[in-house]
Formats: sequence, structure tokens, C-alpha cells
Amino acid sequence: MQQIDPGDTAWILMSTALVMLMTPGLAFFYGGLVRRKNVLSTLMHSVFILGLVSVTWVLWGYTLAFGPDTGLGLIGGLDHLGFEGVTGEPGPYADTIPHLAFAMFQGMFAIITPALITGAFAERKSFKAFVVFSVLWSTLVYAPIAHWVWGGGWLAGLGILDFAGGTVVHLSSGVSALVAALLIGRRLGIVQPITEPHDVTMTVLGAALLWFGWFGFNAGSALAADGTAALAFVTTNVAAAMAALTWVTISWIHRGTPSVVGAAIGAVAGLVAVTPAAGFVTPAAAILIGFGVAIVCYAASQLRLRFRIDDALDVFAVHGVGGAFGALATGVFAAEVGLLAGNPGQVVVQAVGVVAAGLYAALATAGIFLLVNLFIRIRVPSDAEERGLDLAQHGEAAYSHG
Amino acid sequence: MIIAALVTFAILLVAWLVAPDDAPVAAAALPMPAEEALAEAA
Repeated sequence: MQQIDPGDTAWILMSTALVMLMTPGLAFFYGGLVRRKNVLSTLMHSVFILGLVSVTWVLWGYTLAFGPDTGLGLIGGLDHLGFEGVTGEPGPYADTIPHLAFAMFQGMFAIITPALITGAFAERKSFKAFVVFSVLWSTLVYAPIAHWVWGGGWLAGLGILDFAGGTVVHLSSGVSALVAALLIGRRLGIVQPITEPHDVTMTVLGAALLWFGWFGFNAGSALAADGTAALAFVTTNVAAAMAALTWVTISWIHRGTPSVVGAAIGAVAGLVAVTPAAGFVTPAAAILIGFGVAIVCYAASQLRLRFRIDDALDVFAVHGVGGAFGALATGVFAAEVGLLAGNPGQVVVQAVGVVAAGLYAALATAGIFLLVNLFIRIRVPSDAEERGLDLAQHGEAAYSHG
Repeated sequence: MIIAALVTFAILLVAWLVAPDDAPVAAAALPMPAEEALAEAA
């Protein structure tokens, strides 16, 4: 029976605000990792997307992702164009909260996903091209994949488990980030594409805001203030903690020092991996997920360096690889329906989701990138890149020396 | 109302497409990045 529950509604509205805070959190996380001449441009990518996708989500994003299926399980119809029919009454996806609350909660996911990609081609992309790319990507990549998994699409029909967006948010953005980094090429003068953080304190602040907001991201995805939300809250925290501890330990042994940046990145990797699993696995399983993802993502990051791919802020290694790892781990550890509960088929379904979403995201991103590049050069001229995007593109500087 | 909102957004989109690529502000009037300032001083 559909009836609004004040407790559930309050929790989802609060969770929506928590997830909103993740995008500025991401801005600080990325902003600290770039060189000081590109801080503002990096912050601006996330801040601008917060405005941009907030509007496009209401206009057409929500209906493409969550509108009634058009028949093939690929995309939603236009019934909710401009949030038409999205009211204060419960909708088709949650019985105890207003449809508006659900739609806005999902909107925050749609906002942060394209913002994640921006870390891959940071420090060298044109702002104008970024704006057009983001509109197209959130419409042509995010909305369809969200529909496949959460909007009653074909992956939902197969029985894929994605509690809060391991495949929809992290895998899709991580794979797209790799494609974008490969297409735009390495930054000028960067031979070994390591990150050169100009302010690690900013990065740690950003990671803390992300961790905080992730409670809304995962526990809010229960769409109720109940035991599943509490489980997701606990698994989210413990997976992040274990991954941070593991990443620091690996870097300590590998590089000889317990890296502060490593603690921040490790926590984010843990949060990514537990995202699809949060409401389905036990806290003990979440510890294993956090441990495993830190090892896998650290290795992916090292591999990226070996191949000299300038995914500037390791978006693919953390979100792409971490998202895929989390999706598969969900198939293994999910209570009652996972591999360990005697259902190996769930891992196969999860793998189908990873391959399909990854492949589609890669091809569509490449298409969008090349299309935008035909009309607006995505890479800034070399003199602008040398001077820094803050001055060259935005006419502002982050730090005054007067 | 929805059509009006879509048209309003489209106006912004067109404005973004015709807006200049580079900052028109004279770069010399702005503070330099530290490494550049240090290099100049050296």
C-alpha cells in the first residue's frame, strides 16, 4: 500500500542533501590533486555540473532514466518531461516517500557521475567543450544505463544487483574517463603521468566530505529509514575504513612511506566498491570488499603508470576498476542470492552488467568526444595549457601572491 | 510551462556555444602562478 511515511521521507530528503555535498567534496578532492595553476578550473567542472545537470535532470534526464519503459528495456519514455506527473504523492519506485523526493535523490547521482569523469582529462580540456560533452554524456550515457539497471530496463529484468550505483555511477564514469584520457592525450611535459597534488589538505578535506556524503548515497538508497538503511550505513563505513588502511599499508611497503594521499584515495576506492553491495552484504563481507578493492585498484593505478596513460587523477583505476570489482563482489557476497549462498548465476548476471555497461559507456563516450571535437576543440591550445586553465580559461587565479 | 523551460535552457546552451573560448581579461593584470613568478624572478 502506498502511504507517505514521515520518517522515510525525512531520511531521503536528508540523504539527497548528503549526496549533493559529495559533488563539492569531489571538487576539493580533485582540486587538491592538480597543479596550482589548474585548481579553479578543476573546482569549476564539478560546480558547473551541479548547476547543469540539476536543470537537465528536471527537464529530460529523469524521464529518460525513470520514465515508463518504451518497450525494449533501453530507455524511459517522455511521460515525466519537465517532472510532469512527479508529485508529492508516492511514485512507482518507492511506496512511502513522495515521488518528488525519489526523483531529486536520483538527480544527485546523475550530477556527480559526469563530474567524476572530469578528473581524467583535467588540466587540459576546454571549458566550452566540457559543457557540451557533459550535457551529451549525462543524456546519452548516464540516463540509458540508469534505466537499464534501476528504471525497469533489461539489466533489471536479468536480476542485476546494484544497490547504489557501482555499475550505473562508478563503472560508467570510470570507463568513460579512460576513453577520454586516451583520446585527449597526455598533458604537456608530462612524461610519467603521476599526479602532482598542489594541496593534499584540500584532497583530504574532499575525501572526508565524500565519505560523509556517501552515507546518504548508500544508506539513502534503501529508500526508507529501516534496517536495510542501517546495514548499508555500516557496510559503507567499514569498507571505506578497511580500504584506506589497506591502501596505506600497500603504499607503505611499496614506496616506504604511509601515504596521506593514499589514505584518501583508498577510502574512496572502498566507498566505490561497497556501493553496489551496501544493502546486500554483511559488515564482515564489506571488510573483505574493502581489503580486496584496495589491492586491485592500487595495482590498476600502477599499471596505468606503466602504460603511461594520463588519466590524471586515476578515475579509471578507482571508479572503473573499483566499480567492476564491487559489482562482481556483490554477486559473490550478496546474502541469500550470491555465489556464497549457492547461486553462481548471480555472478554471471553481474558480469553481464559490467561488460554491457562498460562497453556501451566506452563506445558512446568515444562517439560523443569525437563529435564534440569536430565543432569545439576539446584540448586547449598548448600556450593555454602551459599558463594554466585558471588564467587562460577563467581569467581568475586561485591564490594571490600580492 | 515545460516548453518555456526547455526554450530557456536552449537559450543558455546557444549562449555557451557562441561564448569566447579564452578569458578576455588581460592575463598580465592577473597574479601569476607561483612557479611562473619564481622562474621570472630567477
